[in-house]
Amino acid sequence: MSNPHKSKNSDLPRYGMLIDLDRCVGCHTCEIACKIENDVPLGIWRSWVKEIEKGKYPDVVRSFRPTLCNHCENPICVKVCPVNAAWQREDGIVMLDPHLCVGCRYCMSACPYEVRYIHPTKGMIDKCDFCSTRVDAGLKPSCVEACPSSARIFGDLNDAKSEVAKLVATKAVSTLKPEIGTGPRVYYIGLDPATMEIKREAKLVWEK
Amino acid sequence: MGKVVFDVQYQTTLAFLISYYFYFTGLSAGSFMISTLSYGFGMEKFKPASKMGVVAAVLLLLLAPQFLLMQVGWPIKSIWNHFVYFNPLSAMSYGAFLLMLYPMNSVVYGIFMFQGNLKMTKIFGLIGIPLALAVHGYTGWILALGVARDYWNTGLMPIVFLFSAMVSGISMMILMIMVRDRFFTKEKTINHELIDSLAKLLGWLLVVDLFLVFCDYSVLLYSKLEAQEVAHFMLFGKMSFWFVIVENLIGKVIPMIIVMIPGMRKSYFWLILAALMNMAGILAMRIVTVYGGQALPLM
Ligand code: SF4
Ligand code: SF4
Ligand code: SF4
Repeated sequence: MSNPHKSKNSDLPRYGMLIDLDRCVGCHTCEIACKIENDVPLGIWRSWVKEIEKGKYPDVVRSFRPTLCNHCENPICVKVCPVNAAWQREDGIVMLDPHLCVGCRYCMSACPYEVRYIHPTKGMIDKCDFCSTRVDAGLKPSCVEACPSSARIFGDLNDAKSEVAKLVATKAVSTLKPEIGTGPRVYYIGLDPATMEIKREAKLVWEK
Repeated sequence: MGKVVFDVQYQTTLAFLISYYFYFTGLSAGSFMISTLSYGFGMEKFKPASKMGVVAAVLLLLLAPQFLLMQVGWPIKSIWNHFVYFNPLSAMSYGAFLLMLYPMNSVVYGIFMFQGNLKMTKIFGLIGIPLALAVHGYTGWILALGVARDYWNTGLMPIVFLFSAMVSGISMMILMIMVRDRFFTKEKTINHELIDSLAKLLGWLLVVDLFLVFCDYSVLLYSKLEAQEVAHFMLFGKMSFWFVIVENLIGKVIPMIIVMIPGMRKSYFWLILAALMNMAGILAMRIVTVYGGQALPLM
């Protein structure tokens, strides 16, 4: 009957990310860097770049939406986890405790951003943790480090002098689905709404 | 507008095993309610259904969690962790307790009933009603509180689940009582009065159930885009065969018409057909709600 992840100390940074889509060239490097860093199995992604094409030749444009866990301020995944395996660090990083997770998948169906996945061999949930081990060692997350156009900016949102805090404060930024009230802490500049289009049809599991 | 060039497919999470789990807890809760009608509320005409109801409720509730355990990645760990690392904010947390308390109470209630101890039977029957409501209602809350999906995220969800539990439970009881009376009693005759009362009850509950579906869909269709899209997906899209035809037409409307027309209700052929169709329709409802409710990609 206990939550092993409760602590009092709150004099810590609040980590967040900004993705500047005016700089993003859609190279998918971040995706691959993440896969390598975190040993993500085939067929699943912790972070990926959704890519869409608009218009008709010769007037074609592509839009990108790099996607990862939003490390929400009010994470619904943490709220619904029956065994406190989904938890949030004081610095805002939303974590998964593999000792507690039982693989019930409730958090997966509750996350509005569909960023959690079932690890095929561990039988439990896995997701982006902002490369917490790198962050703890003073490094940037692997996707941020790998991005050739510096489109991903990571840092402490509480520190007014950090690049990410300055940009979030001065630029027109947006987050994914703010209306759900999860308070995403991954911000975007120049996010194309067409990358978030809701679909009317889906491929059903019994369809070939 | 945009054509998707690359995106990652969401792994559909809670699918068929969870649908079966919901279906069998529903049948269990439904048959428990029937069994309490006479001992708990003094509706004497339902008395011959009580013993069968409580036995069915216990057996089905032993079966139901097996599907749940097959679904989770770590079944044994999940039982342990549910008790040790309780999270009061999660609807799912309460499941482990309910899945223990409800069958235990039902067993005690059943033992007193078989012993003929009317007073104790009544007490445990009345304790069992909120437990039966909770054990099935909480499954509706699990879906409703998974806020990501508009099809689930409605206050109607627990109520819809309770009504579908009751109708499927009654249909199952009708079939079981017919089989018992016809083959396993001395008289070998079906208790017509009991079956008729159950069938009437089924009819009215189906009316309420259909009304709830209407309320739900009318709101979905006028609500925000995501809700509209999922309603279209259910009504006219790929899910429409399962939702419109199997769940609602075969599972609810036709059985309702059959049991509402006295001539048809009194014919065992039609009544058996109605009960079977309703049971199949409610199974389809579980699959449509659990799987269909999350089949559309969110972003
Ligand atoms: S994006 Fe999803 S998984 Fe990440 S913190 Fe928010 S609700 Fe949880
Ligand atoms: S799958 Fe794991 S992290 Fe997700 S809700 Fe279940 S126990 Fe919690
Ligand atoms: S690595 Fe940088 S530029 Fe390339 S897709 Fe990712 S965010 Fe965009």
